[in-house]
Amino acid sequence: MKKWRNTLLLLTAVTLTACSSNEDDNNASLSDGKSTVITDLAGDTGASMGGNTDGKQQRSFHTFLFRLSDKKQIWLHTKADSAQYMKTADWDLAFTGPYNSEVYVNSSKHQYNPGYEGPVQNTAVIKIDQAYANVSQAPADSDFDKSEVTKIGWSSSESSAGWFYYSLSSHIMQAVPDRTYAIRLPNGKYAKLQLINAYKGNPPAVTDLNWPAPYFTFRYFVQHDGSKNLSTK
Amino acid sequence: MKPKSQKKPLKNVINVFLLLTLFSVNAQKNISGFIYHSQKPLENAIVQLEPSNKTTHTNADGSFTFFGLSDGTYIIKVTSMGFKEYRHKIILNGQQTAPLQIDMEAGIDLNEVSILNKSRSAKNNPENLINAQYSAMPVTIIDRKAIELMGSRRLDEVLKEQTGIAIVNNISGGARSVGVQMQGFGSEYIMVLIDGQPMVGRNNGNFDLSRISVSNIERIEIIKGASSSLYGSEALGGTINIITRHGVVEPQLQAAVSYGTLNIMDAVLEGETPFSKNKGTLNLATNYYSTDGFNTNSKYINGTTSPPYDNYSLQGRSRYQLGEKSFLNFSGRYGLRRSFMRKDFGLGHISGDNQDEQDLNLSLSFDHRFSNNLRSITRYYLTFYSADMSVAWQESTTHTSQDVFKQTLHRIEQQFSYSGTRSYELVGGFGGSLENMNDDALTNVNSLRTFFSYIQGEWSPIKKLKAVGGLRYDYTNNFGGRINPSFGLQYFINDKITFKTGIGTGFKAPDFKTNYLVFYNSNSNYLVIGNAVLAPTLQQLQNEGQISETRQYVLNQAAGKLEAEKSTSYNAGLVFEPSKALKVEGSAFFHKITNQINSIQVATGTNNQIIYTYQNLPETVNKGFEIGFKSSPFNNLQINAGYQYLIAKDLSVKDSIRANKWPYNQNIHDPATGNSYKPRPSDYWGIENRSRHMANAAVFYRYEPWKINANIRVNFRGKYPFGDRNGNQFIDKYDTFVKDYWLMNANIEKKLLKDHLSIRFTAENIFDYTDPLMPGQPGRILLAGVSYSFFKD
Repeated sequence: MKKWRNTLLLLTAVTLTACSSNEDDNNASLSDGKSTVITDLAGDTGASMGGNTDGKQQRSFHTFLFRLSDKKQIWLHTKADSAQYMKTADWDLAFTGPYNSEVYVNSSKHQYNPGYEGPVQNTAVIKIDQAYANVSQAPADSDFDKSEVTKIGWSSSESSAGWFYYSLSSHIMQAVPDRTYAIRLPNGKYAKLQLINAYKGNPPAVTDLNWPAPYFTFRYFVQHDGSKNLSTK
Repeated sequence: MKPKSQKKPLKNVINVFLLLTLFSVNAQKNISGFIYHSQKPLENAIVQLEPSNKTTHTNADGSFTFFGLSDGTYIIKVTSMGFKEYRHKIILNGQQTAPLQIDMEAGIDLNEVSILNKSRSAKNNPENLINAQYSAMPVTIIDRKAIELMGSRRLDEVLKEQTGIAIVNNISGGARSVGVQMQGFGSEYIMVLIDGQPMVGRNNGNFDLSRISVSNIERIEIIKGASSSLYGSEALGGTINIITRHGVVEPQLQAAVSYGTLNIMDAVLEGETPFSKNKGTLNLATNYYSTDGFNTNSKYINGTTSPPYDNYSLQGRSRYQLGEKSFLNFSGRYGLRRSFMRKDFGLGHISGDNQDEQDLNLSLSFDHRFSNNLRSITRYYLTFYSADMSVAWQESTTHTSQDVFKQTLHRIEQQFSYSGTRSYELVGGFGGSLENMNDDALTNVNSLRTFFSYIQGEWSPIKKLKAVGGLRYDYTNNFGGRINPSFGLQYFINDKITFKTGIGTGFKAPDFKTNYLVFYNSNSNYLVIGNAVLAPTLQQLQNEGQISETRQYVLNQAAGKLEAEKSTSYNAGLVFEPSKALKVEGSAFFHKITNQINSIQVATGTNNQIIYTYQNLPETVNKGFEIGFKSSPFNNLQINAGYQYLIAKDLSVKDSIRANKWPYNQNIHDPATGNSYKPRPSDYWGIENRSRHMANAAVFYRYEPWKINANIRVNFRGKYPFGDRNGNQFIDKYDTFVKDYWLMNANIEKKLLKDHLSIRFTAENIFDYTDPLMPGQPGRILLAGVSYSFFKD
């Protein structure tokens, strides 16, 4: 047993050295002192999409809502939950769909948005093909007004604003690098958001088909003074 | 490689087996002789007697003697560094033979592990007339001696130290999908055979070679490049033929055990004996192997990334002389592997991955000589493989995948060989097979029936030229017929230089999976529908209201139209032997693969489920060169080295970049600078898992007075792409790469008690290199082993 533990220690040491080249993926490098970094936020891990899966609950994934200001995760497990939270301005993001991978910014305007027909009127999202750190300014309000981005999910086509790719050969989802979302929030403030990983531990590469998911790693910055300055450098 | 050394190997071996047990007077005889070169005696030359496996060394006067031999036919083999191997047949038939006078020819023998070598194919398999000798593609032979010196235990360990061969984990196939890659060909294109009969049982196209113990292997014949003209479908990129031990004159028994790191335990018990007054021979071997598995990613995973397992195998081979010119052969192998792998990802996410594998190979053949020129083998083969696999989450006892897979193959074949004059030999034959696959996930399965017929030959029109060629026709009931030719030439330019070239084709008929599998992966929410059942299955899903959109053009273009994958291989090279202590070989290869089968999305289900099927891709090219080097600067020291340069590219990727197709056309971002630019075809690096550079080097040393064999080996694998990272669906330099690495292995062995006892110490991956991206490459392994042989002195 002791020998085994030593072997593990040794392996750990080697692994850590071996990982050094992928340091930009480590959670530590995500924090810039200004942004909020959320790691391993558990999504609905009890659901299964399957028809013939044994044991796991055969139901669609439960949606959860997320409030940026206090990092609050609000689950919509029941109809009562939905009635209580969906049509409110108490949340900013909704994680919906398979593996909670489809993200919405609270808005009353679009049918599939959990905030549909709620009180939140003026929100919008813009996809920016730039690294998170390099996005220092929110776009003009006229651009937000024009934006047609509703769901941020699988980036399955050229026009998609999605945050991840799903590989048909490796069956693994991967965040699109250098993709940042500028958001006009329900409270009128501007924010930027980067969705980083859906696999537990934010691994630099998924080396196992059964790697636990969804566990979200993402980071965001909200400019509280109401200006469009989103610099986090 | 002088023309005069190109003997009539087939004929010799035929004679050996014919004469093997003709005489059975039970008198004990000796074989003795003198070994010399340029009229000087050679001391310490290794003299081996096959098949009794006795070994001795020459004295200072070059003399040697084997005592107490039974009647029978022996092959005497003499090896000494700096000299070409000498082989000679001796028949003991009740008369004492005169001492042998053996004049050794100076030169270097690259036979053991070499590229472009055909001379060793003189050793054949008694149950198969199709010989690697007829291959137009380069042949590498690894013999038992080399395997023993390496101290390896499983077949994958031996192969991954060969030039241009890598063992690769297929992540998308799950933790147990491990295969072999050769000159850029993936495992799905490499046929694995046992004594010339195909082995079955693959996981996502990958054949896991660690299923096979090396303990009972006589030699391994590797053909790199399209070889369907020899072996039919599946031999699209090459073949690995395992020849098990055979032939015996005297009873002997060997027991061996090794133990070390990861609780690796390897135990072997092998016995062989003649019976019925030498009319019959029997070899039996059992092996037990067990390992705790290992973890290369302990930062994220507690448990193992490579499975622990227990493996039991039993193998036997028997040959019995029915009449003066007829033999009956029987061989069988049974393997059982049980494995349970636990992985803890933290937060109570503990997965249990279970697999029970069984594998059976049975072969019966009848061997008859009609005349000195004409020989026939009729053979029947049955193989069965089953794997019961499941992955479950322990905290909820839910299965993420569960499958029972069974495959059965019956095969019957008639072979003829004819060697007319000294200048040509021909082998021809025909046969058929019936294959069934039972899988929980398969629907509408038909059994796969094939018919095949072939002719192979070797022809030496002039002394300096040797030609080999073959033609094979394969018919498969669900695909149709296909002809595969091959042609190779060897030209002996002079004493020192030989030119070799060859061309061959390969094909692989669409398999059960790509045509009939309907498989749902709940973990990743996708559904795969086999091409042949695509249209009806989609229709059914549509009727059940489970389809949200269908890509009609993909459906029209793909459904029911899956073509066989095809390949063409070209090879050309030189063998250069400037002095008796140095041999260098180099060859360039070019493999073109068309109609590769790949997945494509055909529809989307409700619930955002991806539904995909298989279609043919245009063209892939693997090209590069291989260099082999062998030198023996002084007695008992040998240095080998090998290098492979490889470029493996899917040409459709370049086309897609050029055609500005999404997602290939997306700007590539340099993560360091944040700059991005439009991709060009030159930004395409190549296919995943292929290294540009691979190299190996080894030093073997034998210290005679102490009876010690020691070696140290280094293997290098250049960086290779692990996967696409930036979503453009092709590998560019900013994607995830596995870093290049060196692995060093060493083995030392000492023989004691008149060669009865042998002790060994094995060290692998001495510098303990691991990478999370290589879940199957263990860290440092240290093993100690002992073996004891019972034989008459």
